Amino acid sequence: MAIASARSSLEWAVVASATAFIFAVFTVLVPVVASAGRAPNEALVTSQLAEKVVFVDLATLKVSAELSVPGKPAGIALSPDRRRAYVTAPEAKELVVIDAEQRTVLKRLKIGNGPLGVAVHPVDGRIFVADWYDHRLAVVDPRSFEVIAHVPVGESPSGVAVTPDGTRVLSADRDSHQVSVIDAATLRVIKVVPVGQRPFGVTIDAAGTRAYTANVKSDDVSVIDIELGKTIATVKVGRRPYAIALAQGRAFITDQYVETVSVIDLDDLEVIKTISVGAYPEGIAADKSGRYVYVACWEDNTLERIDAHLLTVTGRVEVPDGPRAFGDFLR
Amino acid sequence: MLRSLTIGLLLMPLIVLSAAHAHGPTRQKVTESVEINAPADKVWAAIGNFQDLNWHPVIEKTEGEGGNEPGAKRTLTLTDGANIFEELLKYDAEGRLMKYIITKVDVKVLPVNNYSSILRVEDLGDGKSKVVWRGAFYRGYMNNDPPEDLNDAAAVKAVKGVYRGGLDELKKKLEAAG
Repeated sequence: MAIASARSSLEWAVVASATAFIFAVFTVLVPVVASAGRAPNEALVTSQLAEKVVFVDLATLKVSAELSVPGKPAGIALSPDRRRAYVTAPEAKELVVIDAEQRTVLKRLKIGNGPLGVAVHPVDGRIFVADWYDHRLAVVDPRSFEVIAHVPVGESPSGVAVTPDGTRVLSADRDSHQVSVIDAATLRVIKVVPVGQRPFGVTIDAAGTRAYTANVKSDDVSVIDIELGKTIATVKVGRRPYAIALAQGRAFITDQYVETVSVIDLDDLEVIKTISVGAYPEGIAADKSGRYVYVACWEDNTLERIDAHLLTVTGRVEVPDGPRAFGDFLR
Repeated sequence: MLRSLTIGLLLMPLIVLSAAHAHGPTRQKVTESVEINAPADKVWAAIGNFQDLNWHPVIEKTEGEGGNEPGAKRTLTLTDGANIFEELLKYDAEGRLMKYIITKVDVKVLPVNNYSSILRVEDLGDGKSKVVWRGAFYRGYMNNDPPEDLNDAAAVKAVKGVYRGGLDELKKKLEAAG
């Protein structure tokens, strides 16, 4: 007994000194990290009808700033360092480059006839913009902000995603009911994967092995094995699924017409819950920790926070008219 | 009325849109409401049956199946003979709310696409209520450069017209009866 307690107090002493050491290291490192750009933990919401990009502080769930972005902003993606946001403005037929820290518009550039979905290469920062009307992806250089290539894909590409290792780009070709798998180096379509009817959002998992599409017309989610280039499962969800976020081994899908988020267990590939949210849920994304999922509700003008463990809405904030936040909108 | 509304729009002085402003469609929203001097339950009793939109002045006939269960269908026949096909997505008798979509309509009848709608009665207390009718939809022409009768403004105007026409008539009818 005495030995045990002496031992545990010794262990405690070791833990305490280790903690002190870690604390000391952090005290030294933190200023360095901060100067390199501390993660601000915020959402950038494209409020399409209000023509704004809205900054929401996620710690307090309050709007911290609004930036005017004419052209009916819809899609969004962030640079690898999370300092820049790329927003599509379909009405202006432009890609809008935003300095997310200064909260200013840096540049606007023309992209074909219908820019919508957008994604960023995680390594080299190239920007892939889906052009709904020209049926191709525009590839934009992140330094010169010039269109450097076009990749022809299927009809009306909407969602775009890049694998975490940067080798593949996927585009959900809505009106061809397929996903195009593109080699990110050669910019050639190497596989075409048939999915459900009218895929809109496409999301790739952290391992880069599977992709998920929300199929607007067939009310289901297609599960794609990227390497195989095949749909390996289809999961029925609520009416008019739009986009998908992944967290805690689950997929969270916005069901536009029935005001719910369907939750799929990714091992069993079954819907385990439907969560009631605001009207016309659209863009959805998980934060870095995977603890929370945020969803923009277009008709009710809200950004809502879902606890990815509890599977309930634990907070909401009102945002300007018509929030879509289609893409990667958390930094 | 819907068709004449559309024709009316065609005859309107043309709104000049330069080619530079032509663009792809953006989903539109419309919310119209009316306060009625009648209790919410009574108002819901008048409009809460998905299989009966005959309280709306331009609806001649409602035929359908599935009652008030999600998935129920209805076919509306307008006074001019045109049809609108709709499906019920959500029905909450307690919350006095229904949500439905148009599954098929000719843009000459109603110049919209992908139309969904929520009809709800709120209890204002003191025997008063508020009916809120909301719609989300794209314009009639889904490509760039829409003709004037199928652009965003035409779609919003047409849906507003439908909602106003129905809500104002409902108020008149229920308050006269009360």
